[in-house]
Amino acid sequence: MGLVAFVVGCRQRSGTSGEAAHGVARVDSAPTQSPQPQNPVHTIALPHDEPLFPPGPGREEFLAACVVCHSPRYITMQPPFTRSAWLGEVNKMKDVYGGHISDQQVQRIVDYLVSINGTPDPVGAPTTANYGE
Amino acid sequence: MKTRDARHLMNRRGFLQLVGVTGAAALTSSCNRVRSEAGTPLSPPNLSRFPEKAELILLTDRPPQLETPLHYFRQDLTPNEAFFVRWHLEGIPTSVDLRTFRLNVSGHVQQPLQLSVDDLRSQFEPLSIIAVNQCSGNSRSFFEPRIPGGQWKNGAVGNAKWTGVPVRSILDRAQVKSGAVDVSFAGLDAPPLPSVAAFAKALSIDHARDGEVMVAYAMNDQPLPMVNGFPLRLVVPGWYGTYWVKALANITVLPRAFSNFWTDIAYRIPNAPNGTESPQHLATDTVPINRFNVRSIFVRPEPNEIWHPGVPNEIQGVAFDSGHGITRVEVSADGGTTWADARLDAEIGKYSWRRWRANWTPGKRGQYRLMARAANAIGETQSTEQWNRSGFMWNVIERVDVKVE
Repeated sequence: MGLVAFVVGCRQRSGTSGEAAHGVARVDSAPTQSPQPQNPVHTIALPHDEPLFPPGPGREEFLAACVVCHSPRYITMQPPFTRSAWLGEVNKMKDVYGGHISDQQVQRIVDYLVSINGTPDPVGAPTTANYGE
Repeated sequence: MKTRDARHLMNRRGFLQLVGVTGAAALTSSCNRVRSEAGTPLSPPNLSRFPEKAELILLTDRPPQLETPLHYFRQDLTPNEAFFVRWHLEGIPTSVDLRTFRLNVSGHVQQPLQLSVDDLRSQFEPLSIIAVNQCSGNSRSFFEPRIPGGQWKNGAVGNAKWTGVPVRSILDRAQVKSGAVDVSFAGLDAPPLPSVAAFAKALSIDHARDGEVMVAYAMNDQPLPMVNGFPLRLVVPGWYGTYWVKALANITVLPRAFSNFWTDIAYRIPNAPNGTESPQHLATDTVPINRFNVRSIFVRPEPNEIWHPGVPNEIQGVAFDSGHGITRVEVSADGGTTWADARLDAEIGKYSWRRWRANWTPGKRGQYRLMARAANAIGETQSTEQWNRSGFMWNVIERVDVKVE
């Protein structure tokens, strides 16, 4: 427990002080590599930065099926999920997005995902796949 | 590290700005327990530099999803190089020839158009709007239970000055036929498999013609970075980023309601207050995600920033809504027991975020939980609890833990 001095609301911003500099005029865009087309063809080269995956059952199926469409970082950025949640995700890739994955491969891939980023099934875990972002 | 240097500089500058502040009110506060939670970085974020971009937080590289580090939000306009990036499909455009690129306007119109970027710049009256663009899933990683998807913290958002041509002006030139219902927008990105739906979104004809929805060719007075949608991007002020179609190449006027995967199945929210449902009772009635709800974001302190006892600091953040206007932000330093008004910076546009500040001099060493809640002109405020299956529209009362030592 602590006593803190909490100072708020004691100065109303007038809008005419020096802090009015936070207005429209303050465009702080960094002028780096602006694509202003001196050259009418604007081209970039995308970096790839894909992580390494530990060996384990299902790894080959995972690499073959999943990285066709997206970086494996789609897996490594997730928190640990339950088997049912991972199953929902893999089935979404197969059934909704049309990934070329057999039912047997689904199970192998889920085995691998649970082994590298899984958690036991708790109460209240989402079991329905989400769509979108 | 560059970002760390910038942070220390800002600490010093923030401190100097505060010297001389008077009128301190000492409020008793209890020091809540601090639990480790989503949003508290347990390890340093993985930074990555993409073309035309600064070092950003790497969520995924293919397709790119890049999050803006919080310190960039100390500026009212988010630099183009720091603006967040989110693509759905692997096949994103990496080369555009402005000599051949055309924005195609077709469908239920008398006069289909093929407009070059030069045509848009030279033949139409330009419009500029400062507007927040926020990913539908911004802050997804804070939901409990956790939700699969882009594990954003608070950086899938940015505020920029967008310049372009109102969609209304383009549609007027194309002469929309009577009976138009929706207008769809599609970009240059391509699905990795034929079975994956191409990305496209739609607005109602009235929304598309509201004079504010625009085709932007400039972002903060510069061409857009390729990964932010060069050369053209749809700007839908006050609406979630999913509608802000990047590398916009096709506008199609439809005499019927638009239908595709990205609207009928994806990007939907429960048809309930604030799009909330529970994991045990998923909503069966859903609607397409649409306008922003009200939310705030802490800019200073950052999570687990270290401040010092007896040293005045400025708590700072931004708040925004869908265009009604932020009218009040309250801050708590005692875990939500007592609240006091933050000062609001001048408004710089109804679709812009609005900066807020509060002074705070920590008393004793320890862990503190700061909280912030914003309200808008029509009385909407932030949630006390929220969950939905897709992790959209996060606007729970904001919190940040700061160490005082």
